[in-house]
Amino acid sequence: MTAFRHTLTGRLLADPLAVVAMLIIAGMVMVALLADVISPHDYSAMNLVDRFSPPSATYWLGTDNLGRDTFSRLAQGSRIALYVALTAVTISGAIGLVLGMIAGFGPRWLDNSLLFIFDTARAYPTIILALALAALLPRGLSTVVIVVVITSFSEYGRVVRTQTLSLKNAEFILAERAMGASFGRIVFHHILPNVLGPFFILAAMNLPVVITIEAGMSFLGIGVPPGTPSWGATLKDGFDYIRTTPWIILAGGLPLILVTLGFTFLGEALRDQLDPKLRKGR
Amino acid sequence: MPDLKLQRLFPSLTRRQLFAGAAALGTVSMLPVAAWADGTRLNVRAYLEPDDYDPLDASGFLEELLYGCIYRKLIQYVPGDEWAWQNDLAESIEQTSPTTIAFTLKQGQMWSDGYGEITAEDVKFSMDRHMVEENNSRIKPDLGTFTHVEVTGSHSGIIHMERPFAPIWTIALPYLAGTVICKQATEEAGGKITTAVPPTVSGPYRVREHRLGERWVLDRNPEFSGEPADFERVDLIVIVDEAAAEIAKEAGDVDFTAIGPASVQRLGDNPPAGTQLKVHPALFYHWVGLNVQNPKFEDIRVRQAIMHAIDVPSIMQAAFFDVAEPATGIIAPGLIGHRPETLIPPQADFARARELLDEAGIDRLDINIDVLNNVTHTTVAQVMQAMMAQAGIDLNISVHEGGSFWSLGVAADGDRWQDLELTLKRFSMTPDPYYATAWFVSEQIGDWNWEQFSSEEFDQLHDEALSETDPARRDEMYRRMQDLMEESGGYRFLTHGVTANLFADSIVPATRPDGLPLVQHFRRA
Repeated sequence: MTAFRHTLTGRLLADPLAVVAMLIIAGMVMVALLADVISPHDYSAMNLVDRFSPPSATYWLGTDNLGRDTFSRLAQGSRIALYVALTAVTISGAIGLVLGMIAGFGPRWLDNSLLFIFDTARAYPTIILALALAALLPRGLSTVVIVVVITSFSEYGRVVRTQTLSLKNAEFILAERAMGASFGRIVFHHILPNVLGPFFILAAMNLPVVITIEAGMSFLGIGVPPGTPSWGATLKDGFDYIRTTPWIILAGGLPLILVTLGFTFLGEALRDQLDPKLRKGR
Repeated sequence: MPDLKLQRLFPSLTRRQLFAGAAALGTVSMLPVAAWADGTRLNVRAYLEPDDYDPLDASGFLEELLYGCIYRKLIQYVPGDEWAWQNDLAESIEQTSPTTIAFTLKQGQMWSDGYGEITAEDVKFSMDRHMVEENNSRIKPDLGTFTHVEVTGSHSGIIHMERPFAPIWTIALPYLAGTVICKQATEEAGGKITTAVPPTVSGPYRVREHRLGERWVLDRNPEFSGEPADFERVDLIVIVDEAAAEIAKEAGDVDFTAIGPASVQRLGDNPPAGTQLKVHPALFYHWVGLNVQNPKFEDIRVRQAIMHAIDVPSIMQAAFFDVAEPATGIIAPGLIGHRPETLIPPQADFARARELLDEAGIDRLDINIDVLNNVTHTTVAQVMQAMMAQAGIDLNISVHEGGSFWSLGVAADGDRWQDLELTLKRFSMTPDPYYATAWFVSEQIGDWNWEQFSSEEFDQLHDEALSETDPARRDEMYRRMQDLMEESGGYRFLTHGVTANLFADSIVPATRPDGLPLVQHFRRA
């Protein structure tokens, strides 16, 4: 029991903020997995007679302009949010991890070249890039993922590069080298495990950002096609009728707020536990 | 404590100076409010923005909104509820034969910025240039059988037509193609007005600046030869989204805007304080077009199946909130050529659609519709998507911003026009049926005829109807043309909609009978 308390999971469970975060995230994952079961209505079924219905026992979060059940659409939307967030973060994280380590280990010219790429990608405004790509590519989740990957891989790359640079000349690495450790051993046994901590903190912090980007693009009409039950599309539907039926936009914003809080709390809790300096300070 | 913090931030700032600064800031911030509050400024919403100030590039009412403020014509529409025209630059203008119109300009009508008096040469230059092939005028069809202007004096001329052209008084002269621009200034600009602000204007307002994607700022033109404009400044503010425009009106950011059908009943029953709502029957026509040349729709049964699977009453209810009626064609009620009913009833017939697809040997049909990114059209598309699924048709919706959307069917803008499937569009209209059918002749394929509909009979009727003077015969011809469009399977007519204008009590708006604003005639209340 004492040993468990000193594991990362044990330490997280002892942190109330982390517990709240994990409950929110677990709730979202459950809703996404069980969306078909818990949805009281077909998310795409139109019912013009009941359109703009306020929240009620029949329609828990009311209906939209086409009489579609808002709760059912948000439940389905959680799948889209998770899909986009996990796919985009995994791809951009993987690219950033590889390029960051190459930059950290590579010769100076390669490091500078990759830094230039990171800075260029980071400097490009997400929405402007999204607008440009939306004009060139078909609307859909893959376009959203591409936008997020292009604008966020550099963040991972920079973090991993910095970590790699500081580690590669650390005494224990030099000692390993002196003992004849192979390059692969140094990378996979020493550098990578030490890089993963900050990497996962960044990934956790980025998940809600990605979800918000998807919602933002859909809100602007450059994300998923109309009819797709993404959270951003629900916000857009709600905005169009905000004067008369504010519950649609309120319901659309609620999961975004919760998920942003959940992943941000988790990221902060992870940082508190994985950053040695912060742990010492406690 | 707060004072200590302030002193750290601004070491030399005393309390007195702070109050004085705040007072000064407050006074400065009130200045524009004061200018606005005295009613000398007018803010009008524009739903898109034109490319430039040259009528050669004009495409519809949006340009007219701007051009009406800065340029003049021989004649102009009279604001009100009845279609009529009145002299503008013309002192006199009359039809002297079926193919000629003689005009005399008023004396002393001036161009701004030292470009002198408006002459018959300017009129000739402005109209003749639309007929030059290399100029690629997009509104050339507005001029029908017009051939040229003959200048007979510094202030007089004769408009010549190849054959009689009935709509010259309702379309050509009082609308876009009749806009008179300055010959000298245009030639100095290289033959086209693409400058940041026009070098000279003749209308009641002049352009101070164009903030791309945001607004035009117009000032009263001190050199205007007519009755001075009532407002010192007019801002044409670009707000694409109807809901956003409505919020802008209620927040006081615009004085005049058209609103979407969703708000008509609510605001009609309970208009916000200091605001009025006026609803006009519109002439616009919204329709679902199908590219008949796309190999996917080669079989007419497939095209007919798609048309049968579109339920117009549901669209009226969901997207137009039952404030508009289903259309029977592209010509609105009250105009020559209006059809009493469509060939395919507005109600969907899913069984018939399924039957036609089965006959064509199609189990599932995947099709795409391109729509503008506005709430009405995206709602229409979603209703269609749900309805079509009942007939085994999977409809994918592609949403575009204005610039991207309006280039989809244009051959000069790429190859996409050939691959188009379904499109949902709205065209503006003038009070003559010629203006509606002009865009669907074979010659317009690759420009405005995105359906690539081509019918010899249609083209011939269109050509004959523009010279036909017997209203009954003309009516029959335009009805037949709409029958041909529908028979092709390329068109499902939706509605003409309504134009609902929300405006501040402090202004007296001027509109055409279809509700479109004539900003140059707006007055303070």
